[in-house]
Amino acid sequence: MPFYWTLAIIALLCAAGYVLGRRKAVASVGGDKRRLHSLPNFYGMNVALKGAVPAFGLLVFWLIAQPLFVEWRVSSIVSDLAVSEARDLGLVMVDVRRVADGLDTAVATGTMTASEATDIAAGDGNVRERLGAAGVALGSEVSEPVLRAAQRYRALSSTGDTLRSVAVLAVLLLGLGWAYRETDGEFRARNVVEQGVLALLLGAACIAILTTLGIVLSLIFNTIEFFSIYPASEFFFSTTWSPSFGGGSSLGILPLLWGTLYISLIALAVAVPIGLMAAIYLSEYASPRVRGVAKPALEILAGIPTIVYGLFALLTVGPALMVVFGDGGLGWMQAGTAVMTAGLVMGIMLIPFVSSLSDDIINAVPQSMRDGSYGLGATQSETVRQVVLPAALPGIVGAILLAASRAIGETMIVVLGAGAAARISPNPFEAMTTVTAKIVSQLTGDADFSSPEALVAFALGMTLFVLTLGLNVFALYIVRKYREQYE
Amino acid sequence: MYDNRASESAVTADDIKIEAKGVNVHYGTTHAIKDVDVSILDKTVTAFIGPSGCGKSTFLRCINRMNDTIDVARVTGDIRIDGEDINDARVDPVQLRAKVGMVFQKPNPFPKSIYDNVAYGPKIHGLAKNKGDLDDIVERALRRGAIWDEVKDRLHAPGTGLSGGQQQRLCIARAVATEPEVLLMDEPCSALDPIATGQVEELIDELRRDYSVVIVTHSMQQAARVSQKTAFFHLGNLIEYGDTDEIFTNPKDPKTESYITGRIG
Repeated sequence: MPFYWTLAIIALLCAAGYVLGRRKAVASVGGDKRRLHSLPNFYGMNVALKGAVPAFGLLVFWLIAQPLFVEWRVSSIVSDLAVSEARDLGLVMVDVRRVADGLDTAVATGTMTASEATDIAAGDGNVRERLGAAGVALGSEVSEPVLRAAQRYRALSSTGDTLRSVAVLAVLLLGLGWAYRETDGEFRARNVVEQGVLALLLGAACIAILTTLGIVLSLIFNTIEFFSIYPASEFFFSTTWSPSFGGGSSLGILPLLWGTLYISLIALAVAVPIGLMAAIYLSEYASPRVRGVAKPALEILAGIPTIVYGLFALLTVGPALMVVFGDGGLGWMQAGTAVMTAGLVMGIMLIPFVSSLSDDIINAVPQSMRDGSYGLGATQSETVRQVVLPAALPGIVGAILLAASRAIGETMIVVLGAGAAARISPNPFEAMTTVTAKIVSQLTGDADFSSPEALVAFALGMTLFVLTLGLNVFALYIVRKYREQYE
Repeated sequence: MYDNRASESAVTADDIKIEAKGVNVHYGTTHAIKDVDVSILDKTVTAFIGPSGCGKSTFLRCINRMNDTIDVARVTGDIRIDGEDINDARVDPVQLRAKVGMVFQKPNPFPKSIYDNVAYGPKIHGLAKNKGDLDDIVERALRRGAIWDEVKDRLHAPGTGLSGGQQQRLCIARAVATEPEVLLMDEPCSALDPIATGQVEELIDELRRDYSVVIVTHSMQQAARVSQKTAFFHLGNLIEYGDTDEIFTNPKDPKTESYITGRIG
């Protein structure tokens, strides 16, 4: 039975369970809904949930476990072959899966009958050609053990699929039946359903946390691998970054960190004053009409994809800076791509971040604070500087640190605006590059995935992760410290 | 600040401090205050009483032009403090508010230390010559606010950490610190328990020696306890204004009588 049919049947039976459960509950009190413990809907939901949750649970478990099981059984057939030809077992299994898929396709398109697909042997000739005719291109002639393994693979999978459908439906019916049996007017269906919803919410929260954990773990393993083939002291303290895929490269993170921090600093130096002042204007001085137009307009900036900002840096800001600081002007700048170019454009990108968040925070300062200040004869600007801003400070600091995290993680603007040269220089008109930009360039090349030149990307990513995590923790610390003082 | 300091020295208890004639306030299309005339005396506590929404707070906010901060509010009519029209274009509302202090219904200390809360007004108006001077002003204001003994050891703790009653007395001290001539209080005790209310009421009586105090209150007992003059507002009209004893014992208007005996409101 196809997978989608299973899903459809689960949905259908649960809907039926809902209707039946609801009806039974109402019938059990003689149609007088007021005598039910819960609203009739809860009885229906209770039945549907008790059917659907175990059924889906089993389905998900089966979908994960079956391929592992099949792989384990089939690999014993081809393990001899792998040993004899000194090939990686994993690569042989890739072949097996490919042939098995090919046979499936051939049956589906009608170039082979189902019995042919299960019985055909390598000796019967031109398996490769016949699969080719069905649109499945194989790299080499199919060997006997691989073909047998593929057939076994298909057999096991199809048995597994059938068993899966049967087991899932059995669990579904069991769950529905049990829930239907316990349904009567006294049953506390609402409490049960609410417990179920609670579990659902908890599950959603767990997924978010576990995903973060998974990301960290995937980075950690590759990072450890990198440090086992490349000395950590070189990575952290070397001031040269010159990867060469032929080996003998120097992979020091310092020039990249310098570039990252330099560009982020310039971006924040642009974004924080402008964003903050815009927020103060919007929340304290602007009339509702101006605010109604200006705030969405500012937020449009936040919706522009960063690659567009990158183009803006490359085509407009870089050349414009060249006019003033290039050879024709002050002579500080060699090319349009420079720290200053990327920093300015990134700052523009961050303005709506800072202004929008700060605006919300400033608006949240209670009007009674402002009244108190005006009542003492303070002007509007004194009120803003001495009462509103201090009250909003923790939130504003949070907004700024959030913007800093964005700046550190930004990639496209750097790639297009800052150049690709890794160097440590105090001159903001020179080209530099950042950690993120180098992660991209190290992973998009033709590098062997086990070489230090490719693996360094994970170490860079991990460093970046730790850096932004530290920044966020610091932001939390600041916010909490001020909150204690001000509330 | 103003040129008429000389005349102030001559005031006696019966001098008129604030004179309002034909005051009307509109909030958008709502006519909140209708043609109110009232004369408030110096060194007197004047109570504004009346049911909710009758316009007493709105009228109070006219006296220091706090309604300017509300976009839809429109005030017409003539209000004079010491004979000077406060709605005159030459009068800076900011300077007016330094002269006419205000205490709000809900305690609203700034998110600063107790010291900085009180020093806020004197600092922005440049009343202190140096740090020692400012310390003196703060201590004097806190003593007048009857809260000095409770906070003298923790002047640099946040003002928001005090209890509700202490916060309100801090706000009164803060208002007193700018040396106003008139003190407006908008239901200053509505968020306080009876003990704190008693303390604030004692304080109001104290303040009468130097200031003209105008207090909006929902408690008729409070009005009777603290005020010498009482004004009764109803639906935006000033119904009756006179000596507090007179209003409470022998009201002239039947509406006033119904209100103070609890039949309307």
